[in-house]
Amino acid sequence: MAIKRGVSLYSYQQTQFFRQLDWKGQIREVRENLGTDGIEIINQQLIPHYPFPSEEFLYDFRSYMARYNMNAVTMDVYLDVHQFRDHVMTHGEAAEHLKNDIRLAAKMGFKNVRCLVLVPIDVIEACIPTAEKYDIRIGKEIHAPWPIKPGNYVQPKKGMAAGINFRAVDEMIELRERTKSPYVGLVPDFGIFQYRPSEVTIAYVKRHAKNPEAVDWILEHAPEYGHDELIDVVDEKFPGHGIPVNQIDRVALHKSCCAPEDILDVLPYIVSIHGKFYNMTEIPGKPGCYEDKCIDYETPMKYLRENGYDGYINSEFEGQRDQQDMGEENLVSEIEQVRRHHEMLRRLTGEA
Amino acid sequence: MFDQYLIRKDSLKNDYIDGKAVGFQFAVRIADYRGCFLSLHNGYYISCDGTEYPRELQTFEINGKAPRTYEELKWCAWEHWDYDDEGIVHVKKEGGLEKGTHHIGLQQSILAQYGYMPWDEEWVKNPPVPGSGAGAGKTETICYFDLELQDTCGCTCGA
Repeated sequence: MAIKRGVSLYSYQQTQFFRQLDWKGQIREVRENLGTDGIEIINQQLIPHYPFPSEEFLYDFRSYMARYNMNAVTMDVYLDVHQFRDHVMTHGEAAEHLKNDIRLAAKMGFKNVRCLVLVPIDVIEACIPTAEKYDIRIGKEIHAPWPIKPGNYVQPKKGMAAGINFRAVDEMIELRERTKSPYVGLVPDFGIFQYRPSEVTIAYVKRHAKNPEAVDWILEHAPEYGHDELIDVVDEKFPGHGIPVNQIDRVALHKSCCAPEDILDVLPYIVSIHGKFYNMTEIPGKPGCYEDKCIDYETPMKYLRENGYDGYINSEFEGQRDQQDMGEENLVSEIEQVRRHHEMLRRLTGEA
Repeated sequence: MFDQYLIRKDSLKNDYIDGKAVGFQFAVRIADYRGCFLSLHNGYYISCDGTEYPRELQTFEINGKAPRTYEELKWCAWEHWDYDDEGIVHVKKEGGLEKGTHHIGLQQSILAQYGYMPWDEEWVKNPPVPGSGAGAGKTETICYFDLELQDTCGCTCGA
């Protein structure tokens, strides 16, 4: 038993956008060049005519996965609460949406769905019978800036962070313990161990800020302020800076929202893991070995290894979007970035 | 994301009715890593050579159907804009665009979310106006493109 490697095809979003590889080409890349079998997908990225794919597509997907001896690990599913536009989706409607995604995941041969951290806990509870019937585990994502241990976190009121329910992880564990259902679990994302902004993110935000020195100021002073307070101070000091709140949040990151050892608190509930990364660069003095300089992989992976985690870590490359505002010569190769990430995963799982 | 690639560079053309230019069109991709239910599509901030063309002057063509207004798309809750697909934005402008290069500003507005947020009820009553950054998904800036008008003639000769 050992940690298994996989890829979320999220990583190849740009490759798919430019039609360089379709999902079949992406699966072949994972099998032939990464030498592994784990596949995670984004439902609305890969499935034509979602949520009503043809029987032909469903059969083709299962057949192609079988041909290359692949394992359909997790399907990532969403919750767009404005789908009906004349009202905010009720929790009952949200549950029907998730149930439909569970049935779809089962038809494609997946074992798990990853739901978003903002899905209310009663919506998940309402889906447990469907999850049991179709043998699909529901894993709620633990995504930065959500903590595993909320401690004294202050609820932000601005930006995406305003939607945060800091008890999301506890609620999932309580639901699991109360129902004793093995179909309720968690999908930690390695972004929770990101302790500083990636170089590619800083460069993107600087290119679009009216005064790039505001970004330098945030990088230096973010640790001195609370979330909402920082945004007010930036507005005051740099009027008309033109940096959206969500971008300020990205460059203000200065401390990981989870400590590496926090992973042990959720270990029994892990469905699969997102191996988030932004930019794999060669480790100085170690030719052919790569790291992401803003995310701690080494320590949490040591805990996972020592404590017998034997599920998948699926690469989730996200650095491409910070490099798509320039010419084609500046686009990053997702294929190469994921290959580098798997060099690191092989090394840190002890496979190499 | 996809900032520089949201409009296909060789897609700017005039729209004609009975040989008369009535507006212009260009091909767009979704500014996200996933497709969306069409009902969530809330229009574009569009400027062309400094003039803004609000959502009321725009229609959107997708899935092999005739161009639709955003009031019509609002009720397409079961139809999907697939990630791989290109849509065509049509903009009303009497006489169309002059020959040559045009400076186009674009911000897409799709009310995609990751679950419940504090502004949900407000978005039902007053959806954000495209261009404000709210509801702009993964590309919150206005992206600019210098595009050469492709056609010069309203007939089917290809000139």
